[in-house]
Amino acid sequence: MFNSTGNNFGAGQITFKDYQASNYVVLNSKFTFDPTNADYQACDQLEIYVPDLTIDRSAVGGVFIRFVEDYHYSWGDSVYDGGTVLKSWIKDKNTIVIEKQPWFDENGPLIIYIVTLYPQLNQGSDTIKSTMQRLTMTTEGNYLRFGYETFMVEFEHWVFIHLMFSGVTYAYREALWEVTMEELPADITADVPICGGGNQMHPNCDGMAEAHIENKVLTSQRRVMGFFDTAHDPFVYAFLVRDNNDNTSE
Amino acid sequence: MESEAATHKKIMIAKPSIAFNDFAGTAKDVTARNVNGRNILSVRAYQSKVVTPAQATSRNQLSKISREYKQLSDSQMHAWEVLASHMKAASSIGSAAEMTGHNAFVRLNSNRVMAGETILRDAPSYHGTIPNVVYDEAVVTPEFIAINGIKHAPSPYKLVVKMSGNQSVGISNGWSKTVIVSPGMEDDWGQADVTTLYFKTIGVEPVPGQKVFVESYWMDTNTGFAGQVLQDVVIVTGESPSGQRVRATMDDLDPTEESHVSSLDVDFSTGVPVAEFNAMCLGHSNVASSEVYLDRPLPADVIGTGICLGRGNGADGKIIPQSYLVYIYNLSDGAKMTFAHRGGYYVKPTECFGSGIIY
Repeated sequence: MFNSTGNNFGAGQITFKDYQASNYVVLNSKFTFDPTNADYQACDQLEIYVPDLTIDRSAVGGVFIRFVEDYHYSWGDSVYDGGTVLKSWIKDKNTIVIEKQPWFDENGPLIIYIVTLYPQLNQGSDTIKSTMQRLTMTTEGNYLRFGYETFMVEFEHWVFIHLMFSGVTYAYREALWEVTMEELPADITADVPICGGGNQMHPNCDGMAEAHIENKVLTSQRRVMGFFDTAHDPFVYAFLVRDNNDNTSE
Repeated sequence: MESEAATHKKIMIAKPSIAFNDFAGTAKDVTARNVNGRNILSVRAYQSKVVTPAQATSRNQLSKISREYKQLSDSQMHAWEVLASHMKAASSIGSAAEMTGHNAFVRLNSNRVMAGETILRDAPSYHGTIPNVVYDEAVVTPEFIAINGIKHAPSPYKLVVKMSGNQSVGISNGWSKTVIVSPGMEDDWGQADVTTLYFKTIGVEPVPGQKVFVESYWMDTNTGFAGQVLQDVVIVTGESPSGQRVRATMDDLDPTEESHVSSLDVDFSTGVPVAEFNAMCLGHSNVASSEVYLDRPLPADVIGTGICLGRGNGADGKIIPQSYLVYIYNLSDGAKMTFAHRGGYYVKPTECFGSGIIY
């Protein structure tokens, strides 16, 4: 783990969980910033300054941006959280860049999730093919169901997960979900965004929820009303650093 | 290709009275001048009547830059004179000759214009910190010409590459035969692929066994200053070296098939368990996917299924995040990639990007 040394958009200190190899880096972080602050409004791109990384530049990876929004009705409250994916890359050994987009400037404070692998190109050899493993997602009474493309790829220091939510028993639609990911290593702790779900207040970006993963269990409580709207297919896409890393390079 | 210098009609007339008596003046085609105690004779050059488009462009640019100097203010000219006092012109007779402000203005601005920059009217500050070119190898084959393993120099530096056409292996000094192939390019992850530029400039395919002279240097595009020239000699080989970067771009699309992307750059050269995906997927008919046909097969080790993120990119303003599986397989005489929508609400077009595993 390491802390940022600064940034140009008015966020506080940012903590990263990391795995750093000689030619790629996996970073995990979650932080909040206020898009009304002067630093953010003055910057062209979001830059996070960090201690020396093992690589001095990277190709583009995806990070997620999310806003939180509640509506209070006479009959109850509704969640209209939303967000999307942003491009991010390592500019130099000490700078992580996230593209700046104005889409949610009126919806702050905004949350950024970095669950990203930053590769380099032209490294003299081809992509190494992985072994995909389907994940068994277990809930009590099988109230929560997942699609076929729910899988992980496991490495010694990190895993990649792709989860696709497909349905829930009606009685559990607003309950706290607790799902055991049977094959997932137990040494992963992270907050991950769940992209998708219908969002009638923000159909331009759809919904975005958050799940917490710890000890192989995924928990989720707060979700948009249209989470299981037809064809809105909520999913998780994340590179997650395992807690077995006490080093920062291979 | 006949060089510009070779097409000039040269006439040399010896006039001892001009050359040895500290005399400045012109006699027929010879001009004598004395600079800091040195007698310098110049012979008037005649341009050939036949010029290539590149030569015409170059001459026009130099004339334009030279004329621009006369439009500068006195203070601007003075700044260029000060800058020139720090710069030395190359000399073939031992000591460096002095450079005028006009010389400096033309030299630096011709570099900048060559790299696609505008003419700099204010003299830049003088510094000598241009990085040296460092690379692993220059590769010249009949089909592929590149410099590999370049130590990256960040913006504003751009790489200038000069190369010769085929030369006999018996020639050890062919530097006068080099012409600018790349007037200023950024290395692409350590590689400068100048294949297209070489053919456009030299016009003749490299012949295996022949020798090609290569010169390269970094140029600061902010100032026009150029770094030290690295000279290299390459023997043309018949085949491209192994380990060539595996990548699928718009240039690789099969023109006989319909592909559903408006941009494409899928790069498998990471050496780690992810590929780098970039594609603007347009979709087709009523299927939530976009197909890409390549005009050549892909190596077996990248055949499989990839996954990447996508973001809506249409005129409707939808920026919905999505996930896509990418089915990658070879056909009888090419390859096919299908970007198949999975997570999120499907919209088209969608920009797929970022790192994603392949299994």
